[in-house]
Amino acid sequence: MKKLQIFIRVNGEDHELLVAPNRTLTDVLREELDLTGTKHGCDEGECGSCTVLLDGDPVNSCLVLAAQADGRDITTIEGVANGSDLHPVQRAFVDQGAVQCGFCTPGMVLTAKALLDKKKRPTEHEIRAAVSGNLCRCTGYQKIVDAVQAASRGKTGAGR
Amino acid sequence: MLLPKFDFLRPTSIAETCEILDEYGESASLLAGGTDVLVNLKRNLIAPTHLVGIDRITELDEVRTTKGEIQIGSLATATALAENRTLKRRLTILARAAGGLGSPMIRNRATVGGNLVTARPAADLIPPLMVLDATVHLADSTGTREMPVDRFVTGPGETRIKTNEVLTHVSVPRCEPGTGGVYIKFGARHSCEISIVSVAAFVTLTPAGRRIKEAKIALGAVAPKPIRCPRAEELLAGAAPGKKAFTKAGQAAARASKPITDHRGSARYRRQMVDVLTRRALVAACQAAREDLAGRAR
Repeated sequence: MKKLQIFIRVNGEDHELLVAPNRTLTDVLREELDLTGTKHGCDEGECGSCTVLLDGDPVNSCLVLAAQADGRDITTIEGVANGSDLHPVQRAFVDQGAVQCGFCTPGMVLTAKALLDKKKRPTEHEIRAAVSGNLCRCTGYQKIVDAVQAASRGKTGAGR
Repeated sequence: MLLPKFDFLRPTSIAETCEILDEYGESASLLAGGTDVLVNLKRNLIAPTHLVGIDRITELDEVRTTKGEIQIGSLATATALAENRTLKRRLTILARAAGGLGSPMIRNRATVGGNLVTARPAADLIPPLMVLDATVHLADSTGTREMPVDRFVTGPGETRIKTNEVLTHVSVPRCEPGTGGVYIKFGARHSCEISIVSVAAFVTLTPAGRRIKEAKIALGAVAPKPIRCPRAEELLAGAAPGKKAFTKAGQAAARASKPITDHRGSARYRRQMVDVLTRRALVAACQAAREDLAGRAR
């Protein structure tokens, strides 16, 4: 199994890595780059807890080989806040109580961010459709939808 | 779940891919979006020594419109199909089916070529491609060949693609005026769903809109592979669109289905749903065809 050299940009930082071909993007983010906000869930693309943005689009990082990410731009949950200044979606999740156990939250936030990057004022239906691949077993989704809607309307506590 | 060991190759052209396949044959597996291949690897259902990553071959990624047809590169993702302007307008049934496949994240990776070669009985893109009379195009190091989608898929997970071939694109003939197509995906939930039954109906009305000139029906998840319903189609040809014709067609479609009983539904339930959903799909397809006629007359 020949290792492969890859270049990836993660949260704005360039990395040159030597990876085994059978490592997924989830594995490399967590184990090589210590970005453990990306969760290992079902590992089969059903639950969405491993969601990252690949060139801006949400994907299940458990179903992307690290080698396939060569040359691509990746955003993980660690790259969403600006220092200690939370992203409006994160702020809204806190304000609306959209986080319970928190395991789905990184994926939810990234998917919601990707949606709002494309569409400033999505409808409730569009929000529900966008997060439909991110499973939450705690909240029943209502507070998550409320949070995304609040973020889209600029109604977050941080005043931005 | 750990992935087994394999070597990873990344060709940059169709020709280079074919050379690799000539060398490694059955021990190699093509990898595009990875939404099926990587799951099957993790479950130890396949054990290739080499994975051939084709996801960056730009010549496989294009949607092109020519005079007579629309060509869709095999690497086009479900998201690309669902959002492509030409496809939304001209191949609405395919764009809508792609928009309901898996989940948003799966759609961002899953490709039309992958949906065809994995050939699951409930594959969402195959019934729409069948009623659109799509053709599958294959290439190997010696040349190319093509065949109708219906012939390409032979059984559950089985197709006529050879181990040295790449699926390059599918082509769909341009639709004539007065056509409408509808795909109904029927399941227990809206996302990450493997259909209990799916029905694709595609109708062409006569210019005045009073008769059905031609109808095509394809069913998913109710046979070892997605199937067409020739008897139902015959009953509809020349008939006036309405309850009488649709009832007969629904019954004929139900008779054509060969469902199994599994945890998603019993055979009897599935057959009844084929009847109901075929009727509903025909009502909606005829409505879309009428709107198409009205739109073109304007």
